[in-house]
Amino acid sequence: MNPGMKDVVKAEEGEVYDVELEADILESNRRIAEENRSLLRTYNVTAVDVMGPTGTGKTTLIEGMIRLLKGRFRIAVLKGDLTTTIDAETIIRHGVEAVPINTGKECHLDANLVRKALQKLRLEDLDLIFIENVGNLICPAEFPLGSEKRVVVVSVTEGPYTIVKHPFIFMEADVIVINKIDLAEAMGVDVDKLRADAEKINPRAKVVPTNCRSGEGVEEVVKALGLM
Amino acid sequence: MHEYSMTTMIVEAVLEEARRHGAEKVLEVELAIGEFTFLNPEQVEFWYKVLSERESLLKGSKLKIEMRKGSVRCLNCGYEGNITLLDDPAYHMIVPTLLCPECGGTVKIVSGRECTIKRIKLLGR
Repeated sequence: MNPGMKDVVKAEEGEVYDVELEADILESNRRIAEENRSLLRTYNVTAVDVMGPTGTGKTTLIEGMIRLLKGRFRIAVLKGDLTTTIDAETIIRHGVEAVPINTGKECHLDANLVRKALQKLRLEDLDLIFIENVGNLICPAEFPLGSEKRVVVVSVTEGPYTIVKHPFIFMEADVIVINKIDLAEAMGVDVDKLRADAEKINPRAKVVPTNCRSGEGVEEVVKALGLM
Repeated sequence: MHEYSMTTMIVEAVLEEARRHGAEKVLEVELAIGEFTFLNPEQVEFWYKVLSERESLLKGSKLKIEMRKGSVRCLNCGYEGNITLLDDPAYHMIVPTLLCPECGGTVKIVSGRECTIKRIKLLGR
């Protein structure tokens, strides 16, 4: 027992009293995120958080970046999904390590899950970690993970209003990727308008149109992240 | 979106505090939710009602929610205040931006991300 700690003062029977708590429930996640960040720094590992809706091309983008960077960096991927390890299996075909994180019912990764996943890797043997968040354009913005950079991926198939409808996640982004530009015409979606929306909401972020399946634009994403 | 899990954490934190004080009952919980969180107060209230009914310490307690405005600071000119809202006629909707209203630089969110249990009212045993 710390001698500085006095006994808890207890109320008399039937007495009503207030307890000032000032406890921020979201603060614990931010604290663990900071711990992750300093752990990664200790090992000189750069972590990139990739966020965006389901089916937008997050995994395909990560695969494209791995192809470009495999010779330069030792890479691992943390792959968040509610269930299944389908995407993690896709990733390991590129000869890099993958840690699947199943969140169960939770709509986002949190810093504690990432901390647990990092314990499964030998950080001294790595330079770069991609963290693929659960497919969702809302919740991941609330939960920093401790990554150095955050990428938000959207695609033209989500329609013309994705960015203005979800402004807050784009405010968290360092790089905003507009994917599937090869389908823009078929979808009747104007890529330049999406780009203008992104730049208006977050003038600091770099916006990159891509076709991740063909690889178009992926090198520009990598450069925008400062990895090339 | 994640109101259920957030409210579970709120309930746990309140229970822990009430037990630490050896309280008979929790009468009231005051919560402050920041503008830049993704928490819908009505859904938090709904889950609080459901979850508090399961705990004898919390049963019948009231939840008061205060929505707190967030603030931003310009990295260029030092402007501090509300976030800028752009009324976009193309969409007929209001879109927030990190553009500084004073100098056109980029602002950073400095507050409004909290979900804070401010105080709880307890009945002594």
